[in-house]
Amino acid sequence: MPFKLLREVLKVGEATVPYPFVAVDLTPGFRGRPQHDPAQCIACGACAVACPPNALTMTTNLDEGIITWQIFYGRCIYCGRCEEVCPTRAISLSHDFELAVMNKADLYEQADYRLAACTRCGVLFAPAKELTYVLALLEQSGVTGDELAERGALLAMCPTCRRKNDIVKLVALNQEAV
Amino acid sequence: MVTDYKRRDTLMGETQYAIHMDDQTAALKGALLHDIRRSIFVYRVDCGGCNGCEIEIFAAITPIFDAERFGIKVVSSPRHADILLYTGSMTRSMRVPALRAYHAAPDPKVCVAYGACGSSGGIFHDLYCVWGGADQVIPIDAYIPGCPPTPPATIFGFAMALGILSQKLKATHHVEGEDERVQPRHPELPLDLRVDVERESRRMAGYWHGQQIADSFLNLLKAPASDIERNIQNFLAQKDDSRLTEIFGRLSEIYLMRKA
Repeated sequence: MPFKLLREVLKVGEATVPYPFVAVDLTPGFRGRPQHDPAQCIACGACAVACPPNALTMTTNLDEGIITWQIFYGRCIYCGRCEEVCPTRAISLSHDFELAVMNKADLYEQADYRLAACTRCGVLFAPAKELTYVLALLEQSGVTGDELAERGALLAMCPTCRRKNDIVKLVALNQEAV
Repeated sequence: MVTDYKRRDTLMGETQYAIHMDDQTAALKGALLHDIRRSIFVYRVDCGGCNGCEIEIFAAITPIFDAERFGIKVVSSPRHADILLYTGSMTRSMRVPALRAYHAAPDPKVCVAYGACGSSGGIFHDLYCVWGGADQVIPIDAYIPGCPPTPPATIFGFAMALGILSQKLKATHHVEGEDERVQPRHPELPLDLRVDVERESRRMAGYWHGQQIADSFLNLLKAPASDIERNIQNFLAQKDDSRLTEIFGRLSEIYLMRKA
């Protein structure tokens, strides 16, 4: 009988996980570091809008014509809202949790994207990659030939010029009708 | 050591604290990291957190993760501490207690910012009474981000702060390449079908799971038309989940409607 406890202990074995010597088992839904694929990102900023603690930010630099996507892991709460809203799957939560750093600057990740200039007035108005992505989607939805070229030309205009263009067209249509 | 209890102006991303370390203390600190390898006393300073970080710190010293394997021990007084662990977003009222704990701990000491709040203020960073992280007040040596950091992340952070493991995360700066193109998702399928399936799936299962389910459904649609139904049946039989069957039934309806 005095060995009952000892037997029990031997039967149970060691409960301690051998981390950090052996990789730790993570559950399939584990939410770790948001992994950004800069090539797949269209700089639309949906993640920055969704991010509850503003760990994701978009900064526009009109002088250099770039828009900068930035994540600050020190502020991230690993909620996965960015993964939910990303239209191109550029960002997804990985199983990477070893994020401790000595230098705070290492907690930042940045990506620069070019802004497209309006073909009419030259104002920088949207990330160039976003526009090419929209064109690719139009093509995928079956728009081809002249219509695609026409829509592409409209897409390359800033919203103000597009509106002006619409008014000119409407006036012309009205005059025709009269 | 000189302390000015008034907050200095802080610039975005730049840390200016009111503590100045002299050369001797700095030298001792270097020696500390080398000398205390197997006996590290940690004192937690909660500067306005939600207690999530505290729960994870205690999880890290339970038998499952057993931080005491490495000599890491949580002590109840800063006077015994080698490491000060600052959790919480550093509220206005907690800045003086935080400094008092800092001064109560004997030199040399290592200060660690723990959790998203300790590292930067976290989700509370723009609150009126929040100063945005322990590093606004105290000189911080290591940052352990996470909300809260899991016990393995905590152990990794300690191992890194003590120089046992090396840092893994590095700052990156990507610049858009010349012909960088985005791959549209499921380019083989019509766009409106994809959008409808994704929308319905998200409506039924929520954003994250809805997206996963829509993806597995759309992947099954890529097979030759004659195999699709059989593949879907096999997939559902393998998963054996009535909720998934329900959602797939609805998605199949959409697919057949679109096809017709």
